[in-house]
Amino acid sequence: MTTETQHGSVIVMDRRRGKLRAGQGLLQGLRVVWDHWAGSFRKNDNFSKIHGTFTVEYPEERLPMPQAYRNMPVLLFDDESGHELCTGCYQCQRICPPQVIHITQAKDPVTGKMVPAATEFIIEYDACMSCGFCAEVCPFDSIKMDHVYELSTANRAALTMRKAQLNRSISYYTGIAPGLWAEVQAGAMKKLQGSIKRRPDVIGLAASLTEKIKARRLELAAAAAAAPAAAAVSAPAAPAAPAAKLTPEEKAAKLAAMKAANANKGAAPAPAEAPVALSPADAKAAKLAAIKAANANKGAAPAPAEAPVALSPADAKAAKLAAIKAANAAKQAEAAPVSVETAVATAPLDAKAARLAAIKAANAAKLAAEQGNNE
Amino acid sequence: MQDVVNQVINTSFGWGWPSWAIALIGYLIVAALLFGIAPFQMLFLTLYERRAIARMQDRIGPNRVGPEGMFQPLADGVKIFTKEDIVPTAADQWVHFIAPCVVVAPTMFMFAVLPWGPGMVPVDMNLGLLFFFAISSVSAVGLMMAGWASSNKFALVGAMRAVAQMVSYEIPAVLSLLAIVLVTGSLSIVELINYQGGLFISTRDVASVPDWGLGWFIFSPVGFLAFIAFFIAALAEGERTPFDIPEADSEIVAGYMTEYSGMKFGLFYLAQYVLNFLLCAITSIIFFGGWQGPGVGWLYAQAITPVNPQGGWVFNVLAGVLGVFYFLTKTYGFFFVMVWIRGAYARLRIDQLMDFGWKFLIPLTLVNIFSAAIWVGLTKWGAADGLAFVEGWSPLVRWAAAFGVTLALNLGAYLFLARIFAQSQDERARQDDDVLEQLTNVA
Repeated sequence: MTTETQHGSVIVMDRRRGKLRAGQGLLQGLRVVWDHWAGSFRKNDNFSKIHGTFTVEYPEERLPMPQAYRNMPVLLFDDESGHELCTGCYQCQRICPPQVIHITQAKDPVTGKMVPAATEFIIEYDACMSCGFCAEVCPFDSIKMDHVYELSTANRAALTMRKAQLNRSISYYTGIAPGLWAEVQAGAMKKLQGSIKRRPDVIGLAASLTEKIKARRLELAAAAAAAPAAAAVSAPAAPAAPAAKLTPEEKAAKLAAMKAANANKGAAPAPAEAPVALSPADAKAAKLAAIKAANANKGAAPAPAEAPVALSPADAKAAKLAAIKAANAAKQAEAAPVSVETAVATAPLDAKAARLAAIKAANAAKLAAEQGNNE
Repeated sequence: MQDVVNQVINTSFGWGWPSWAIALIGYLIVAALLFGIAPFQMLFLTLYERRAIARMQDRIGPNRVGPEGMFQPLADGVKIFTKEDIVPTAADQWVHFIAPCVVVAPTMFMFAVLPWGPGMVPVDMNLGLLFFFAISSVSAVGLMMAGWASSNKFALVGAMRAVAQMVSYEIPAVLSLLAIVLVTGSLSIVELINYQGGLFISTRDVASVPDWGLGWFIFSPVGFLAFIAFFIAALAEGERTPFDIPEADSEIVAGYMTEYSGMKFGLFYLAQYVLNFLLCAITSIIFFGGWQGPGVGWLYAQAITPVNPQGGWVFNVLAGVLGVFYFLTKTYGFFFVMVWIRGAYARLRIDQLMDFGWKFLIPLTLVNIFSAAIWVGLTKWGAADGLAFVEGWSPLVRWAAAFGVTLALNLGAYLFLARIFAQSQDERARQDDDVLEQLTNVA
């Protein structure tokens, strides 16, 4: 029986309290239970009904998950380019309440600079609390909450997920949450294009996409093979070209001594690829310059600052040596202020030689830069 | 069974064994069958109950182990056998150990007089009904032993409640059966079943009624009231909801079973379900004709019996199968009703239980005995017994008169007692409220 009130219709249950004879209420109770028993052989798929079984027999039957259901975070990659959306910005790692996200930022192997990608991305699923903060905070819509909930295992260590295990394609995510992805798709894909432009070599490609990575490596190798063939005749520093292409030489030249030292670390693989990278003449000149600069340093402070100006990445080793020597010399100079005056007397000559060496090094660098541009 | 064994050994093989050996072999076979069937029945009754109660609660119930959960009871059995057996250090070791046996043994004895089909009774005792209920009361001793020996307050409270409940509900159960015994004039369970041939009217009351095996006591006012009273008492005796007070989990953990684990607990469980099965069986035998049903009487008349040695053995088999089918259908039907009641009603308080037993059921069954006496007088007595005026009536008129009088008497008694009982309960609730009010005012 429905009654209309000013707040809407109200269902009034007629329990017939006053009209019951002795024992009648018990029979009505039995009637209710019987109705449920008789109705339970049907499946109740409509929740407005009160009869019929509601049971979802789980392993065989499953309820569809709501789009916004969240269980464990995963990393998305683009199906077409194979690039991961993650830029390694550490936002998720910072916000994670149980601190189970660990990111290693990708670096350019040549320049050593940060690249917008993660080389390793670890989430400890065993300690993850499924709060979804990481997915919420991710500015690149790279980390998303998965719908998979059957994660029980006897091996706890297996729940430490590395990047390869976390990777899911965008098409997978649109399969489970089409509406949520449609909201962020435009922005996420635009940001991804920006990231791809700044990713050298195969950095940022989903590790599982081995064919894509192979194809990309072949592409790079072909480019590298083409370059020396064109410029081998005139360029002693030619094999360094692919690296030179990626980083503007002018910018590198402006680095201070400390940054040169850092660059040296990043450039470590470069000599392995091209052991002939250092032109003997330039190296000798640089060494000479370094020695002279060290001497000059005792009296003339600007000299060490000028010397690195000339450095090309290929000469980085020599430059570092120079820097270290310069630093040592400076220390010595401080330790023995008495000798300053004598050093000053010889300074102008040495300084001149040092400047000469620096100019030579700069020329060599320019040449290298030109070759890079030619490519 | 002894006829068959005698037939096989002495007639077919011609070995000429003595009658005591034949009897021993016959009883051994029957006992082995029953001791195999009883626990097996109990196992599947648990599954049956769980599935049925699940359906009543809009669930599905255990359906994983085997097809439709068929092997769930076996899995439960394996589990309960592998459980550790814990005996509390404060317990009386020997009494604690013996109690489950004392509870289980009577339920097994009760099978001795239970007829499964026409001519299929282990022992046709002329005191069968008395034996049945006398033995069933013995398990109360076992319950008390269990509760006492556990040295646990919950166990003791549970045992006290169990014994109090069993003792108070024995009375209405036996009184309601007394009415039936008055009508049949026999305590033999086999005779009780034989009485219930006919079609709505027993052939013993009106001989001209066709024998369809449907002259059950439930169709007479005396039998109906006795059935209601007996079934309620049976629920209390079998400790079924709404009378599962002795093992009320929400109040006293598990009652007298609190300190039992493993197979000892399993034995209590076994005894309980076997007792429930037996109570359902005896209800179906006394009020619903047991194996009586359309066709069984006719088939059994053609079979090999002491009365009719020239019958065909095929009819023995057919009558047996059909009779057992009817009997078990009714029995499981009553078990379903027990589950149904469990699904519908909440547990009574111990004082409500006692009130209901002593103030409502016992007066009602006493009135029913009076009705039964009237029934017997109107249908069977004649001038020799001092009832000359019924002499001239035809059997059908006598039956109709008995039906009308007993119906009026029983219905009037029910309505009167129900009103009195309801008033007393209301009064009691009002007093409780007053007491509560006083208490809260004091506080």
